[in-house]
Amino acid sequence: MPGGDVLAIVPELIILVAASAILLIEPFLKADRTAVMAVALTGLFGSIAVSLGLLGQNRVAFAGMLVLSDWAIFFKVLFAAGGALTLMMSSDYLESQRRHIGEYYALLLFAIIGMDLMAAARDLMLFYVSLELMAISSYLLAAFFRYRVRSNESSLKYLLTGSFTSAIMLYGISLVYGQAGATNYAAIENALRGQATGSGTILAVFLVAIGLAFKVSSAPFHMWVPDVYEGAPTPIAGFFSVGPKAAAFSVILAAFIVGFPGAAEQWGILFIVLSILTMLVGNLFALVQTNVKRMLAYSSIAHAGYLLAGVGAMGWSKNSYPGETVLIYLAAYTFINLGAFGVLAFLKSQVGAKFDYSLKQMAGLGRRSPWAGVLLSLFMISLTGIPGTAGFIAKFYLFGSVVWANLVWLAVIGVLLSAVSAYYYLRVVIVMFFKEPEEELSISGPMSGGMAAGLGITAFATLRSAFFPGWLWDSIVRAFGTLFS
Amino acid sequence: MTDFATQLGFRGLTLLTFLPIAGAVVMLIFMRKRPSAYKATALITSIFTLALAIYLAAKFQTGTSGFQFQENSSWIAGLGISYHLGIDGISLLLILLTTLLSVLAILGSWNSIKDRGLAFFISLLVLETGMLGVFVSMDLFLFYVFWEIQLIPMYFIIGIWGGPRRVYAAIKFFLYTFVGSVLMLVAILAIVWWYAKNGGGLTFDILTLQKAGFPVSIAAWSFAAFFIAFAIKVPMFPVHTWLPDAHTEAPTAGSVILAGVLLKMGVYGMIRFCIGFFPQIAVRAILPVLILSVIAIVYGAAMSLVQPDMKRLVAYSSVSHMGFVTAGLFVFNQQGIEGSVLQMVNHGVLTGALFMMVGFFYDRTHTRMISDYGGMAKPMPVAAAFFSLFVLGSLGLPGLNGFVGEFLILIGTFQYAKVFAVIASIGIILGAAYLLWMYQRTMFQQANEKWLTLKDLSAREIVTLVPLVGMAVWIGLYPHTFLNFLHAPAQNILSQVQPYLAEHGGGIAHLAATLFGGN
Repeated sequence: MPGGDVLAIVPELIILVAASAILLIEPFLKADRTAVMAVALTGLFGSIAVSLGLLGQNRVAFAGMLVLSDWAIFFKVLFAAGGALTLMMSSDYLESQRRHIGEYYALLLFAIIGMDLMAAARDLMLFYVSLELMAISSYLLAAFFRYRVRSNESSLKYLLTGSFTSAIMLYGISLVYGQAGATNYAAIENALRGQATGSGTILAVFLVAIGLAFKVSSAPFHMWVPDVYEGAPTPIAGFFSVGPKAAAFSVILAAFIVGFPGAAEQWGILFIVLSILTMLVGNLFALVQTNVKRMLAYSSIAHAGYLLAGVGAMGWSKNSYPGETVLIYLAAYTFINLGAFGVLAFLKSQVGAKFDYSLKQMAGLGRRSPWAGVLLSLFMISLTGIPGTAGFIAKFYLFGSVVWANLVWLAVIGVLLSAVSAYYYLRVVIVMFFKEPEEELSISGPMSGGMAAGLGITAFATLRSAFFPGWLWDSIVRAFGTLFS
Repeated sequence: MTDFATQLGFRGLTLLTFLPIAGAVVMLIFMRKRPSAYKATALITSIFTLALAIYLAAKFQTGTSGFQFQENSSWIAGLGISYHLGIDGISLLLILLTTLLSVLAILGSWNSIKDRGLAFFISLLVLETGMLGVFVSMDLFLFYVFWEIQLIPMYFIIGIWGGPRRVYAAIKFFLYTFVGSVLMLVAILAIVWWYAKNGGGLTFDILTLQKAGFPVSIAAWSFAAFFIAFAIKVPMFPVHTWLPDAHTEAPTAGSVILAGVLLKMGVYGMIRFCIGFFPQIAVRAILPVLILSVIAIVYGAAMSLVQPDMKRLVAYSSVSHMGFVTAGLFVFNQQGIEGSVLQMVNHGVLTGALFMMVGFFYDRTHTRMISDYGGMAKPMPVAAAFFSLFVLGSLGLPGLNGFVGEFLILIGTFQYAKVFAVIASIGIILGAAYLLWMYQRTMFQQANEKWLTLKDLSAREIVTLVPLVGMAVWIGLYPHTFLNFLHAPAQNILSQVQPYLAEHGGGIAHLAATLFGGN
């Protein structure tokens, strides 16, 4: 039924309309970009509202290409919320960098459309096409400061490595098609069921997994991350660390659970191995960073490692509980990390070109800008996983599920490495509060409404879900259940 | 408990735990720029908390071993996590100690904190909530949350208001504790999982899990994980190395709270979890724990002997004194356990007092080096008198509290194996040596001319010390008031380990006992 098909993508259509509208009205605007922001936020919040209105439905659309279910809606809401927060925190920053143009908004919205469709996809082809929509928008966003060498380097690295792994993944998809004669997840499972899992299948699954591992910034496919984050606009770096990563995790969970349950043990082991590598690389390299933005890039690698432990545990134990905990981790991490990057964007917009995100320059920040200091400390403590913050709840659920999958040793590695992470996260707190400033950087201007709202929401979410995670967990369990129906 | 207060829906423990943080919120919102107002609020809040703790102690029924003032409501229902509070005699004594020392810590740092005072007093109050939360939690998840949350204010207290090497000390303190804690977290998850899988349902309730009877395969390494976490906190030899740095660099109030309360959380955790959950493993651990304890006693005392820094000396003496506490706990007899808990209170009072005194001297002289002092009794006779009392208490003079605890522990240890009691006594002798020697070098001997004009203790400082003197004398002369709270919980612990004691309590320990005597 065509009408029903269209209904299944209404949340994306709303964002599409907003993005197109931005591109159309932008030439007629003067310097002020408030209208652009308004259109973008309206589109995103409209999409959230419609998505929530569609909760509880299970709509198979476009000949099984995508399914609108609570699963997809969970991610649509998460992505739109992440995008809206990113935009709120961008306005000042772009203004201070003198490059406040509508394309930024439009590209971000296009990336979100791609991510939405990735989460809703039930077919390798649609997944691949939406992935490319997301990726190409991301390449452009990384190169947004096109007069800067760093930004160009960032984009080029992202593009080259991204294309390379896309090709590997596409090869994997073609192998899957060769064996199963289908690209639909359920049809693949149907075709492969009952067969012994041969080496051909494993190779195909591994190739697809490697492509996705690149997108979630898993070691050893992580080399692009620090440079891309460093060169990209700061709010966009924050967005990269949560949005595309969560979208790739949605595909890992959906495609591998629904499409390749027969090879669960094999891909479970693969992800466990990747997880250990990623946790090690992320945490150990983050230890030696002196630049907060780069440190957060490595920290995002480390968090990908924790998440992969959940995915691996899910495959290994053939139990959906670790998968559910991956979702709660993604949700918590989205808000925490956007908040952390938001504070950095705020500092950059206040201090200007002199600010290079180095730890040295943040010395004494707690005195000069107490709010920024307190908020950044909150996000750092939360990333460490101290109780009282969402980061702890996320780690608690995630490592709980790893233990429950009988992988106690993996949980031990994970928690010990997160103890290591305490060192580099708390170092930020140390320089901000325990050290005296070496050079005076003036932070005078008031926080704009958008920035204040963005930071306020992320901080509130970080604290609230720490004490009342119940409803979030319930809705995740419900959403996860719809993956199988 | 059907008294009037309960009928009114009086949630005493919730009120007790969150009163300090409520005071902190009030200070943050209304008194940002008024030091005298926020200091007064902090003090009043902590005094009310102490009063509430005393009220609860008065209402406490000492005869029963069960947990009292229980509150239980569901928190995260999906995981069987509940907001479950309750106290027994052991928690009660530690709560009294915590609330008392918090008042004194606030009073003691009234004038010594010049920079960012609001944040300092808020940190102290948040810390108090964290510590009280640890002692009242009856749910593992809740316990873990409080256990970790108190790291943050302490981290800031050391890191912002500490001495010259404060950053190093703060991060060392944090990382040591955190490594232990995360291992404990995995063990918590593992035992909860085991219990759920074996038909018990998903629960983090401590009382339920204490009855679970974990098999050795799970219990052995879970015990190890819990034990490491708590041993770091106590701290036991050889994971004590964070303590001298943290205690020395922390501001006076921080040292008082660290030594007075935070170390006790480690022993409390051992009682509740290592012994409560895994009695069959705990009895097998007797010998290693005792060996580590006596090493700590002698090593800590020997290190104290050679410290040139007064604060560092007191810090190392904590290692020695906490060795007595762990030894008394793990000999598993009535005297040992009661002595151990009582000694925790004694150590909190005496070491808290010693740190406070060192802080008062430091406020005047800005040095902690023993060699810089000398003849302080001349300009500061009152201070010297107080100092002598605490030094004598700490070295175990009969009539003061330190003696009672150490005596009970030595009796308990002697019953288990004479050899350990003998070695532990060496620690007491060394204790007398380093304490008296320090006292002699600082208070007597040749007077340093620089200090002749120093003012003696102010009224505020005397008020800070008097309650500690009171406690030292009270426990020293009439310990029954406090031991009374401990009979039932101690018996409870013994009944938990009794079935296994005959079976596994022997082993190498039995060998040692036959070699060296004991009964």
